[in-house]
Amino acid sequence: MKNKFIHIAFPGLLLALLGLAAAAPHLGEVFTLKYPESWPQPVYDFQKNPLTKEGVALGRKLFYDPILSRDSTISCSSCHLSYTAFTHVDHALSHGIHDSIGTRNSPALVNLAWSWSFMWDGAVNHLDVQALAPITHPAEMGEDLAHVVEKLQATESYPNLFAGVYGDEKITGERLLKALAQFQLTLVSCNSKYDQVMRGEPGIEFSEQEKRGYELFKLNCASCHAEPLFTNGEFYHTGLPMDSLLQDEGRFNLTLDERDWRAFKVPSLRNIEFSYPYMHDGRFKKLYQVLNHYTTIRPGVSNLPYYKFAKGGISLDERGKVDVIAFLLTLTDREFLFNPEFAFPKE
Amino acid sequence: MRFSLLFLILLSAALSPKAQDLVLRIHPRVQGQELELGKETEGFQVETLRFYLGKISLWKGNKMVFQEDNYHLIDAEKPASLEISLNVPTNRAFDHLQFELGVDSLTNVSGAMGGDLDPTLGMYWAWNSGYINFKLEGRSPASPARDHAFEFHLGGYLPPFATVQTVRLPCKTSPRIHLRVDLDQFVTGLDLSKQARVMSPGAEAVELSQKAAQIFSCEE
Repeated sequence: MKNKFIHIAFPGLLLALLGLAAAAPHLGEVFTLKYPESWPQPVYDFQKNPLTKEGVALGRKLFYDPILSRDSTISCSSCHLSYTAFTHVDHALSHGIHDSIGTRNSPALVNLAWSWSFMWDGAVNHLDVQALAPITHPAEMGEDLAHVVEKLQATESYPNLFAGVYGDEKITGERLLKALAQFQLTLVSCNSKYDQVMRGEPGIEFSEQEKRGYELFKLNCASCHAEPLFTNGEFYHTGLPMDSLLQDEGRFNLTLDERDWRAFKVPSLRNIEFSYPYMHDGRFKKLYQVLNHYTTIRPGVSNLPYYKFAKGGISLDERGKVDVIAFLLTLTDREFLFNPEFAFPKE
Repeated sequence: MRFSLLFLILLSAALSPKAQDLVLRIHPRVQGQELELGKETEGFQVETLRFYLGKISLWKGNKMVFQEDNYHLIDAEKPASLEISLNVPTNRAFDHLQFELGVDSLTNVSGAMGGDLDPTLGMYWAWNSGYINFKLEGRSPASPARDHAFEFHLGGYLPPFATVQTVRLPCKTSPRIHLRVDLDQFVTGLDLSKQARVMSPGAEAVELSQKAAQIFSCEE
């Protein structure tokens, strides 16, 4: 089984050369990221931010530390809980400091090294800079990055931890963001029942129902929720009626291109059992509601030629829907959900 | 290994031609006078001026004689940022200065950066990734906004709204280049009663970035 995984690691010499070239030399012990060799190459450029055990540990501490928010009440984990696939379970829209409510459902954090854009509208173009958005948003953490850096620099513990990763105690925006990215890059989910079946692990098989569901999934869903990551990373208008209060125009706000009007990102379906509620605004609590939406879209709901379901939704009968859901539950990866390495760091 | 690397570095330093520091001095101005932040001149006052100046190169005709690849954050509040030292080999004649006003698209998609590009410096958009290339804030009675404020945060790298501008200026060979930035040209060229606030990528940001690129000149 071991040889079926790719190990991303940097030999000492390469690391030393990179350290010479970059402004911030990376010290510490190399952290090896494991993922199946059948997967595509990660999008993330690890050479610019080589993973180390110290860097990942620092990122993890930061991820769980409310010091990142203005009034020290909200941490990244407030809306991205490890036990629920790193999303805000039960909350349709995420809430931040002073119980402010945002406008979108917090996305699950999984397999981020393979993602080329972030947020529901793809407004963030790199994992390193993703954390800036929640840190600075008034309804989330309401902070200023320069002030976070100041606060961290004044603590007892952080300067020393940064020194362990970057060689000196100076905390900068770049170092803070790269450390947060290091931890998030380790959130790889690749050991669900689906993965084990695909790897042909002995004694692991789909049930008859899961098999039928998988076939239906490949026929109806996989063009967008492409294996093995269960997303193609693209953006579509999927015929959801506009929420009259939120009036969210999706990716259009970013590109000002009418083809992106009300388009949102295709989310990964990994650990979907635990990442409810669903859709960009969390309007559906149950998977069957999502399938009901996709099976009842009628042609003509939109005149837009690039509208994803111009020819109508997908067709599944009631039994088919139950089968597809049975398959989707095989994407639950308990090793990922209950990985002690991802949980709150006990010091 | 370490020794031979050191040796190589020393060798290459010894063999390279002698270099001098050419100083590029930036002069933000209003009506030909050095900019004073917060002082009203010509019916407006400037409170913030910051912009990225990058990929500086010197040209003799069609031939590039010097090139730098990094970005400098120019900030009217920080005198040290108004002077850039360029390590130009001696006896390099040039007749043109070229630079980019703003940050190129590759840098915009390369994740967290340090130095002058660190996202703590107030020149990075958190909710629509990308650098602000040019930031000008101030007040003018012509602005209908609260406190008669005007705010221009020009940036955006995605086509068709890419805002980075290449500026090429005639510039005589000299150990000290004086680069003028005539802000009154930019402000008086706008109708502040209609356009006092541009803070996101789009057609307006592109148009204003092109205007901003016109206000630079080398002092003869």
